Amino acid sequence: MAEDSFLHLARPLGPVSVGTAPTTAPLNVVIQPQAIFSILDHSLRRNADQERVIGTLLGTRSEDGGEVEVRSAFAVGHSEAEDQVEVDMEYHKQMLALHLKANPREVLVGWYATASELNTFSALIQNFYSGQGDGTWPHPAVHLTVSTEAGKDLETRAYISAPVGVTAERAADSAAFIPVPYELRYGEADKSGLEAIANAKDVEERSTSVMTDVEALERAIEEVLGMIDRVSRYVESVIDEETPASTAMGQFLLNALALAPKVEPADVERDFNNHIQDVLVVSYLANTIRTQMELSNRLATAQLTLGGGEATGTTGEGNQRNQRGGKGGRQQRQERAAPEEARA
Amino acid sequence: MAEAQAPLAAVKVEALVVMKIIKHCSQTFPTTATGSLVGMDVDGTLEITNSFPFPVVEMPTESHFDNAAHNAAPNAAAAAPRAKANAAYQSEMIRMIREVNIDANNAGWYTSANMGNFVNMNVIENQFFYQKEMNERTVALVHDVSRSAQGSLSLRAFRLSAKFIEAFKENKFNSEELQKSNLRHQDIFEELPVEIHNSHLITSFIHQLQCPNPSGPTELPASLSALEASSFSKSTTLTPNFDNLSLNIDPFLEKNCDLLLDSIETHNTEVNNYQYYQRVLGREQQKINNWKQKRTQENATRATLKQPLLPEDEWQRLFKLPAEPSRLDSMLNTRQVEQFSRQVDSFVSATTGKMFAVKGNLLPGETAK
Repeated sequence: MAEDSFLHLARPLGPVSVGTAPTTAPLNVVIQPQAIFSILDHSLRRNADQERVIGTLLGTRSEDGGEVEVRSAFAVGHSEAEDQVEVDMEYHKQMLALHLKANPREVLVGWYATASELNTFSALIQNFYSGQGDGTWPHPAVHLTVSTEAGKDLETRAYISAPVGVTAERAADSAAFIPVPYELRYGEADKSGLEAIANAKDVEERSTSVMTDVEALERAIEEVLGMIDRVSRYVESVIDEETPASTAMGQFLLNALALAPKVEPADVERDFNNHIQDVLVVSYLANTIRTQMELSNRLATAQLTLGGGEATGTTGEGNQRNQRGGKGGRQQRQERAAPEEARA
Repeated sequence: MAEAQAPLAAVKVEALVVMKIIKHCSQTFPTTATGSLVGMDVDGTLEITNSFPFPVVEMPTESHFDNAAHNAAPNAAAAAPRAKANAAYQSEMIRMIREVNIDANNAGWYTSANMGNFVNMNVIENQFFYQKEMNERTVALVHDVSRSAQGSLSLRAFRLSAKFIEAFKENKFNSEELQKSNLRHQDIFEELPVEIHNSHLITSFIHQLQCPNPSGPTELPASLSALEASSFSKSTTLTPNFDNLSLNIDPFLEKNCDLLLDSIETHNTEVNNYQYYQRVLGREQQKINNWKQKRTQENATRATLKQPLLPEDEWQRLFKLPAEPSRLDSMLNTRQVEQFSRQVDSFVSATTGKMFAVKGNLLPGETAK
């Protein structure tokens, strides 16, 4: 990711109608990974002759308008020629309406393009998105560029724009793009998904299967072991005077080591035994309940194959069995209640 | 066309779809979220390349007092995939995305679940609707939000088995039919292996996300605060996710116990219903037998008196046998319990490992023995 530093400048404002006061406060853009993924997917699906593709960004705006969170994106078809650009506005409007139906909390926040270049067409499109009516006005429209050139790093940049006064005729296709800082943010829920996706990054087929609990645990433990190895290698090389020592590093490691709890062995033993019993009992009971239910269901439907007698006779038999199954279930429940009480 | 194709063997989900589903499901948690999947079927592997959420129809607020409507309210989203309005929404959306070169074939739908409680009539009916009405080769992706929050992503793909569809179509769920078809609760769903697939661009994006290309060797920090403030200590690396190392047992087990108790409750109700049916059936049978005997005796006397005989099959009009309750609910319930117990098993296997590790760590002498 580009590590740029930013200077917030009060941006110039366009002609303002009375009663509204567009803010000039600094703007921060937060991008959620699924929006970037959507953009990358769209870039893969562009027509062969297209250099870049564009689309609409949706998300939320904080109350004071100081932070824009880009949550999702959809593609909009467009075509660029030497001297003209055509954006499928009808498509954009319909798609926006469809999207808002399913995500009523999201609003239009801007647009993206999959090339870093900013040109006259960019200005034209930017002016459409930030315009009044269908656009984001009075808030600034965010323009996100994600370069997807083969063989180069992916470069993401966020801009907002300000009108530049040239002549009245040229106002529509000119805009001053001002870069704004952005960050990639993902929530707790996204983490497990991203982890699974990241698993596939070093595999040639670029695919991975979903891990089970134990596999995930194994991976995490291996990762931690690797980290401990790295740290101990570093510490050893410091002791051997191969690498320069650092007080800060030492303090940091000491702090980390001091986090290990100091508990009485008897306490550990007791807690361990209590918990392991809980865990195993629940597992045992869950499986018993499963078996009981299956048995009761099987008996309820498998009566004829055993007896082969008269219909009335077998129904009675089935009834009895059924009762037994039901009783088994009830018994289980009583047993089940006991350990739960014990834990509480 | 159908017989030429191999049956669906696996599901390949694009990273984009994974993220979109996670976003939608966790946003609406704990309400159920549903959406549509689009993709392509390549030689028995269903590639799911995009998805979009279904709009939720808001229930009018005044209906909250009405008990029936109140029960229906949380199911509005769950029933969304087969709602008529959404079929229109879906076809409209698919028409739109076709224009921007996204695979525009319906590939199924997704739903969110909480602790694996997804085996219910809604899921069955939705998937039945999809496999029957839309396209045979569709899947249901189930994303378990609360399990994913524990560290490892839980995303599973299900289809209804052909056997079950057959039975469901004609609602053949009384004991006689079940004996004939030998349909068991294990046969309701077919689970397909899920694979996550990244595009080239996403692969390179994730690589960049993880190592921000250090330009030369990093300098050692000057002080502790400098170290804590540096980008390394608050790094945004994706792996490992240490959530699944935390030893957090009780909430999970309690939740599971609650769900299991509910299931037992349901099971008991079902069993009682069935018993009631059998008692009524027995009583009716008894009455019919009595009536038949009476009629035979009457006919015997009539025969001796040379009178015309009364018809013997009149009982079919006079008595009505009660309808057998459907076994479907108890079947689903059993399947659900199986799901829970597998879930507990999987959790327990990881937890016991963690617990022994903690014990070994805190009592180093013990493990040496």
